[in-house]
Amino acid sequence: MKMYRIQFLLAAFVALFATGLTDEEETSARLLVSKQILNKYLVEDMDIIVKYTLYNIGNSAALNVELNDNSFHPEAFDVVGGQLRVSLDRIPPGANVSHVAVVRPKKFGYFNFTAAEISYLPSEDAKEVQMAITSEPGEGVIIAFRDYDRKFSPHVLDWAAFAVMTLPSLGIPFLLWYSSKSKYETIVKHKKEKSRNKDD
Amino acid sequence: MKMRNLLLIYLLVGSSVILTINNGAVFVNSEDAVEDEVEDDVDVEGEETAVTEEGEEEEEDEGGSEGDASPGASLDADTTILFTKPVTATGSLELPAGNLVELLIGFSNKGEQEFVLEAVDASFRYPMDFAFHIQNFSTIAYNKVVPPSQEATLAYSFIPSETFAGRPFGLSVNLHYRDSLSGAVYKESVYNETVQVVELEEGLDGETFFLYVFLAACAVLMLVAGQQLLASSVGRSGGGGGRRSGAGGLVGSLRGKGSGNYHMETGTNNPNDVDYDWVPPQMLNNLSKSPKQIKQSPRQRKAKRSAGADD
Repeated sequence: MKMYRIQFLLAAFVALFATGLTDEEETSARLLVSKQILNKYLVEDMDIIVKYTLYNIGNSAALNVELNDNSFHPEAFDVVGGQLRVSLDRIPPGANVSHVAVVRPKKFGYFNFTAAEISYLPSEDAKEVQMAITSEPGEGVIIAFRDYDRKFSPHVLDWAAFAVMTLPSLGIPFLLWYSSKSKYETIVKHKKEKSRNKDD
Repeated sequence: MKMRNLLLIYLLVGSSVILTINNGAVFVNSEDAVEDEVEDDVDVEGEETAVTEEGEEEEEDEGGSEGDASPGASLDADTTILFTKPVTATGSLELPAGNLVELLIGFSNKGEQEFVLEAVDASFRYPMDFAFHIQNFSTIAYNKVVPPSQEATLAYSFIPSETFAGRPFGLSVNLHYRDSLSGAVYKESVYNETVQVVELEEGLDGETFFLYVFLAACAVLMLVAGQQLLASSVGRSGGGGGRRSGAGGLVGSLRGKGSGNYHMETGTNNPNDVDYDWVPPQMLNNLSKSPKQIKQSPRQRKAKRSAGADD
């Protein structure tokens, strides 16, 4: 019986070590990368905010992470802020990193926002670079600035014109009233002065 | 004539033959119907069991069709899921009803061939029986090509219906993909667990906000009404002279005289208790002076008239 027990224990240890070893082998970084467009309206010549979020859901740090977005062609987009090519030294396991870039479309119309590419080393001693692609925001419509302006402009000039146009209809009655009022007040003043002189 | 008779005979014979055959059939059918009725009676006793039986049948049908269409997940593919919104700690997932839920699906190709990620669908199932679909969410087509030994991320989002707040549901997220070489279609259920749909308690609802505004308005109205009642009752009881004297004081100061003086004056000239507070002070002046002038100087008036008559 004892022999069996010892053998059983040994077998159990071996099994444990084996599983431990396999676990160690499986330690590697795993990146999930989302690419999001944060704007509600995509407008020609106005900022579009693109947010990349890198989640490391693996159990090891990701090294030499390089994010490269070629989907914004320089002919169609201006990069206003941030960069479309980023390199991060290290993303620890369980951590996430977000990166924001601001682009400005030069034309209006439909645009298919496609995925960015990413490459990283899944572990310290990994030799092969792991390639990955981000999620796709999908197709969006970039509306012309004129259409956007028609909907959302503050109409400052229009309101100013309106004010000028309403000025005579408000100003003329006011002037009439003011002149009569000042006339009346001068009369009252004169009377008061007279009464005071009489009282004195 | 003979031919006609023969035809008639044939018709009669044929119809009788058909009738007898039909009779037999009808008889058999009626037997079946009786049996069905008996079965129905038995089923009626437990309607719930009947419903679950139907569900099982559906499940079996689905299972069969799915088995034919897709054998499940590919061995060369590895998928993960991560809910990015709402951010949850470890444990059972709680989804806010009526709010956006975002999730990322990671796919890594460990094989030698390309995979094409075709679509993702999600649905709420009855947690006791995953064959019951309670809410189906959009199937999003991605058609993303993942070359060998590469990874891809897919984003999916849905909004649980507000009516499902406070109940557990089986959430099932399925990824459909195919092998680009052989064209074999795979389906992997990336997430298949029971989740709790919770109601988010929002800080300020429009309804409650206007309720508070209404309550505040009511309170202000009550205060104003109370003040009015108090003021009027105090004024009637006799001490309200303060208000009038205050007003008199104001008028008096406008006239450049002491308030008490003015009050005395109106008091003596007012046998009918007429309130002259609202009359402008210069008018009062004229009033108090004019009768004297008229009484004192009838000659002056005459002189004025004569002067006017010249014009």
